[in-house]
Amino acid sequence: MPTLRELQAGVRAALLGDDESAAVALVRADGLAASARLAVYRHHVFTSLTAVLESTYPVVARLVDPRFFRYVAHRYIRNHPPTSPCLFEYGATLPAFLEGFAPSRHLAYLPDVARLEWALNAALHAPEPPPIEPEALLARADVGLHPSVTVLQSSWPVDAIWRSNQPGADVAVVDLTTGGVRLQIWRIGEEVAFRPLSRAGFAFRDALARMRRLEAAATAALAADPAADLAALIREVLEEGVLV
Amino acid sequence: MDARTGSARSGIGLRSAHVAEVLARRPAIGWLEVHAENYMGGGPAIRALERLRGDYPISVHGVGLSLGSVGGLDPGHLERLAALVDRIHPTLVSEHLSWSTTGGAYLNHLLPLPYTEETLAVVCEHVDRAQHRLRRHLLVENPSSYARFEHSTIPEAEFVTELARRSGCGLLCDVNNIYVSCRNLGDDPAAYLDRLDPAAVEEIHLAGHAVNDADGRPILIDDHGSRVTEDVWRLYARALARFGPVPTLVEWDTDLPPLAVLLEEAGIAGALLTSADRAGHHAHAA
Repeated sequence: MPTLRELQAGVRAALLGDDESAAVALVRADGLAASARLAVYRHHVFTSLTAVLESTYPVVARLVDPRFFRYVAHRYIRNHPPTSPCLFEYGATLPAFLEGFAPSRHLAYLPDVARLEWALNAALHAPEPPPIEPEALLARADVGLHPSVTVLQSSWPVDAIWRSNQPGADVAVVDLTTGGVRLQIWRIGEEVAFRPLSRAGFAFRDALARMRRLEAAATAALAADPAADLAALIREVLEEGVLV
Repeated sequence: MDARTGSARSGIGLRSAHVAEVLARRPAIGWLEVHAENYMGGGPAIRALERLRGDYPISVHGVGLSLGSVGGLDPGHLERLAALVDRIHPTLVSEHLSWSTTGGAYLNHLLPLPYTEETLAVVCEHVDRAQHRLRRHLLVENPSSYARFEHSTIPEAEFVTELARRSGCGLLCDVNNIYVSCRNLGDDPAAYLDRLDPAAVEEIHLAGHAVNDADGRPILIDDHGSRVTEDVWRLYARALARFGPVPTLVEWDTDLPPLAVLLEEAGIAGALLTSADRAGHHAHAA
């Protein structure tokens, strides 16, 4: 008699892998082949997880067309199944997966569009510690970005690509030669939003996220743009409530 | 379920597409059930639930604890469930008799277990651990099945009854799942119901299912994508006659209809619950 451990390893291999022989041997046929019974489970695993990825990455799905997206999703799910039952956390590594995915490599902007979509999803579900109040800032040694905030730098106009692929958007042709963007993505109340950042504004937030020190952030902002107005940068992040 | 009258009522599974409408209209419905994993982040979802819990009893229904995983419960996930339960104070907390996690991968399906003494010991230990951590009585739901294992020795109805006896958990009797599993595996749904211990059944689920073709043979798929079928309503009436009025939930997940359709289905269940309640009073009076 197989142990429960053997059974679960066998079913996993049948659902996500290429070998269903171990699971087939364990399932009673009863008028329908064991492999047809296992196919019902496999079908649900892939369709439900594909739907999760499609709802997190609707613009990517639209850019590559839905059938190709299902193919991408299938490959991704097999190689990177969820590690948590909270499916709003599933798909964080899809942008990196797309970087290495040969069939869509000609769409060079695709991974960065995916990064923007992931940042929007992460902002929506992020925990919500209270932001730092202005009067408390100087007393704090350790200052970082609010968990809902992502800063993103791309060589492509991913904000314009994202906007022109929203439901009901005018189907405008996005001029890819307009160059890259630096964005802040975050949640404001019940909504998620993004906006462009200056070179110094990006460097300031990026350094805060990595080093959690105001001095380090100020140094990074000045290195990016020697003419940066530090007082204005600090006022901006306090007003936006993006510091914790 | 209703703290004032003590009588069981019907509720609906609350899905994100209906949250805004329920918040705005506050329809007359006995209670709401949510999937625990959808409320484990911050943001608008959990804030909406905190507003709704003032007006409705809330049931927290987990789909990701994987009570049947041989590798043990994920302690991090159990902590997140405990945090949600502490925040929402639900009237009921439930999970499934199934497994989804193995070797660090979450397969996003309520996968079938072999019903053996080994499995019974594993699930009892996990129910025990969950109840201990949550400091709550847990209800465990019978799964819908498309396959069973050659070495299963214990009929499912007996397995869940024994699980409830050993672990002290209650049963969430999913009447549609009983129907789907019995049809797919060649068992008798009525006989299944009759084997359950009425004292252990504390909640009932109802939903629609689809009939698909598998190699030329019909297979029932528990897709929660349509109205409750006539056969399942009949089985529900039998369940109420046997278990008495038990809080009943209507679930719908695929092809979600307007909220009004769900409320209509819950209304049918509510009417059957009311007559079961009266029948119970007559029986006591007799």
